[in-house]
Amino acid sequence: MKKLIKSILWIHCISQFVYANDYALITNGHINKISKAQIKAIYLKKLTYLNNMKIIPINLEANNKIRESFNKNVLHMSSNRLKIYWIKQHYLGHRPPLSMKSQKSIKSFLKKIDGAVGYIEVKNIDNNFKVLYKWSD
Amino acid sequence: MKIFLILFSLFFSLLQAKDSYELGDGVQISSLPIYLGGYFSTEYEHTKSSDKYKLDDIALLSYGNYQHFSYMAEIEYKNFYTKKVKDDITLTQKDTSLYVERLYVDYTFNENYMARVGKYLSPIGFWNLLPINVLRDTSSDPISTNIIFPEFTTGLYTAYSNIKDSELKIDIMVQNNEDIDNKYSNYRINKHYGFGISYEKENFTTKINIGYFNKLHRLIDEEYEDDETEEQDEEYTTASNKEQDLYYMLFSAKYDSQNYQFMGEIGHQESPNGLATNYALYIQGLYRITQKHTAIIRVESYDDKVTALQDSSSIFAYTYRPAYPIALKAEYQFHTLKKYDKLLLSFSVLF
Repeated sequence: MKKLIKSILWIHCISQFVYANDYALITNGHINKISKAQIKAIYLKKLTYLNNMKIIPINLEANNKIRESFNKNVLHMSSNRLKIYWIKQHYLGHRPPLSMKSQKSIKSFLKKIDGAVGYIEVKNIDNNFKVLYKWSD
Repeated sequence: MKIFLILFSLFFSLLQAKDSYELGDGVQISSLPIYLGGYFSTEYEHTKSSDKYKLDDIALLSYGNYQHFSYMAEIEYKNFYTKKVKDDITLTQKDTSLYVERLYVDYTFNENYMARVGKYLSPIGFWNLLPINVLRDTSSDPISTNIIFPEFTTGLYTAYSNIKDSELKIDIMVQNNEDIDNKYSNYRINKHYGFGISYEKENFTTKINIGYFNKLHRLIDEEYEDDETEEQDEEYTTASNKEQDLYYMLFSAKYDSQNYQFMGEIGHQESPNGLATNYALYIQGLYRITQKHTAIIRVESYDDKVTALQDSSSIFAYTYRPAYPIALKAEYQFHTLKKYDKLLLSFSVLF
């Protein structure tokens, strides 16, 4: 019986590992390492410059599962709370980050624009990009 | 009036042109970095002796940015229409003048420094930064946000911020000139030097503000406009019409999580002639029952030497938001000065 429980637990752990999704916040290489709090500040537009370079955060579209994971694991805010935050910022004269349809469009935008940051799945990262932060579901 | 109507028509035609407009988003003018928005609020107030109906704010705002520069402009009708019924006498007031609520240009130097010039909301405490009905938690403002410091500053503002694992921010406000449009400002001032420091880590933020301002004339808050306090008002007006130096300090703290928010502010004011606010404070707890329903409890207390009033109150409020930019609010205030007990209902929308 003990063996059976052990095996089930092992299978559960392995399946968690196999099915875990890895994501990363990336840039085209002109930004140095940044803290999680700075990432949050960039995506809330509290931090708009880094080393005198304009930072342009890019989101995936609303309801995208990677965006939801980013909101939950990196920003620690629900979509609804973020929506409320941006409604308040509208009154204060600030706009939310740009949204793009796909990881492909984020990559092509990041390649062209220095200071742009965006998140994609780790498996889609190539040598043109620098990883600033990694997380898993 | 005509300009406002033209701007409002432009705003609504832009709304219709935009396919995916959501309330509270504002609209972009063509592909220019210029955005338009607006808001309005209506209010009903019931006290033991009177009923008041108000179409309060009707405002239009515009903002945008280009490279290191950004701007904010907000024009507004204040107390556009007020009807008060007291002892079977009905009083109606209209103010159809347009007022400049905010007008400033920002320049962001880098990740640490920014500067502003123009008329802006004094970055003092938390409540004062989101003062419009639709965005604040209750229909009413805590008294401490009204009597301790000037809500608006016309002049220079500069901020230093440092964000690493937490956020440290320093604010400096300087005014050494007349206000822009001060009819509805809580203080009419020609000098204001303010300093603030705030620290934020995860869900917790704390802030300290200190400052000095030269009061030219303090408006009588409508709260005090009551027959029973006419005598006090007279003294108040006489005293407050004199130019006066005032020093203030305010300590604020806030904890904001997914479902709860706790916030408090306590302020003190000093004046060489002793006519100042000894203390004014509030502590507020907010519970987000669901995305649409919020319950709020606030306790307030103040001791004001200017009005010779000392009062404490408990406010029980409920807000229903079918969507966040639409707020239907109800609150009841219990005061130790019973004549100020009141029911407030309001409806407000942000575009």
